Amino acid sequence: MTALVALNRVSFSYPGAERPALEAVSLEVLPGEVIAATGAAGAGTSTLLLVATGFAPRIVGGTLTGVRTIAAARCGVVFARPWTQLTGLCPTVRDEVAFGPASRGLARADVLAAAERALERLGIAHLAARDPAQLSGGELQRVVVAAALALEPEVLALDDPAAELDPEAADALYDALPGLAAAGAAVLLATPDLGRAARVATRAVAMADGRIVAEGAPEKVLTGTEVARLARAAGCPPPWPMDLAALRRRVAPDTAR
Amino acid sequence: MNGVGARVEGVRYSYGAGEALRGVDLAVGAGEQVVLLGPNGAGKTTLTRLLVALRRPSAGRVTVGDWDVAGRRPDEMARRVGYAFQHADQQLFARSIEEDVAFGPRCLGRRRPAVGALLEELGLGARARLHPYDVPAPTRKLVALAGVLAMEPPLLVLDEPTAGLDHEQRDVVLAALRRRAAAGVTVLSVSHDLAFVAEAADRVVVMREGRIVADRRARELLYDREALAELGLRPPATVEVSVGLGLQGRPVRAHEVVAAMRGIRWREELSE
Repeated sequence: MTALVALNRVSFSYPGAERPALEAVSLEVLPGEVIAATGAAGAGTSTLLLVATGFAPRIVGGTLTGVRTIAAARCGVVFARPWTQLTGLCPTVRDEVAFGPASRGLARADVLAAAERALERLGIAHLAARDPAQLSGGELQRVVVAAALALEPEVLALDDPAAELDPEAADALYDALPGLAAAGAAVLLATPDLGRAARVATRAVAMADGRIVAEGAPEKVLTGTEVARLARAAGCPPPWPMDLAALRRRVAPDTAR
Repeated sequence: MNGVGARVEGVRYSYGAGEALRGVDLAVGAGEQVVLLGPNGAGKTTLTRLLVALRRPSAGRVTVGDWDVAGRRPDEMARRVGYAFQHADQQLFARSIEEDVAFGPRCLGRRRPAVGALLEELGLGARARLHPYDVPAPTRKLVALAGVLAMEPPLLVLDEPTAGLDHEQRDVVLAALRRRAAAGVTVLSVSHDLAFVAEAADRVVVMREGRIVADRRARELLYDREALAELGLRPPATVEVSVGLGLQGRPVRAHEVVAAMRGIRWREELSE
């Protein structure tokens, strides 16, 4: 299978930065994958998304070294701050979501169909006639994801896409990701939400200081979940990761509580 | 520092055709720690903006302490109400983090505001001289919060204070809010984060479609699985662990759960 994106020891620095934001990162993104990248603030997960999709350095400037191959025909990116990517030109949510496919020069019927599909997928068909400038933060976040999806990208990069969603909408968004991947697109996710990421990711990378420090099955890499943190703090012995079922099995049968 | 309470009575607000608030009554007492929960578009953010005069209700009355908000400008309200936006970038504009954080107290007439200790408290000390846009977005959220705390307002209104933060940053925010709470400051937050509710709320007010549909003690609601499910919510990990392990005393905060787990004997070997 040909990788949609291949990074081979790629480093990247933002313009004027003293320190590279990505250092010697190697990663292949294959069709059908949902890759979750996690790390503390500043670890480089957002930058990884920008570099893997070609936005950096092309749009944001900076310097890239190493070998990067982007075979995907289209990459969609949803930034962590959704309102920054509204076109500001569209009076309705439907127009906003149709903007991407229209820019591709598709026939009008295809543009509208792509927009409707994306609105349906995000569960926001009821917002189609609303003014994007008057939506709540969570509604806006879904509109922006729908707009990226309407482009029918081969790689969809989502930066903390549920940060502003209520839990139901966040579950719905995450649960939709495997379906997108099954349709042949790869999803690249930067997220601090380890619980939801572990549920939907096919692979995870943990980052620190611009480097990938762990890579593999989500349940191996995403070990910093809340349950694990509590278990660790209470002196529960490894192995990690630890979910609630594993924690319960750890309790000695004669324990007093 | 003593907190002030806030009260909204019969408040309505419309964005064009859609009514965002359809008659809301809410009283937050001085020193209370309240979280507003509810699905996207429920009117939570709109409600909080009325408290700082960033929006004016089409009907009803809003008061903060003994001030009627109707007669006040947003800059006057800023003396009493510190408001941290959902999107931190909307409130950052200075050339360095320390200047940005010092802006509020300067506006209040303090010539040399001491922001150093505050930056340290929020883990920003080493970044004081950086441009706010040269730090990652989650860190900018802490900068915006520091700017609000620097004015030492008796009422804090925080829109999604932990969204997008990593564990360490969340802990920093929680510790800062606890210190303010202990000093009597009133905190009204909008959040979807039940772990935040567990750590930082006494009381939870649930909104839906422009109305208040529930008003509960946080501890009570977090253990009410049915009520949470009705709201489309799952209990936070602390409560899941407490229930899963049968811990005593209904702990909700992480340190309470860990303390309650101390009595447990762990198996060293796991037999399958």
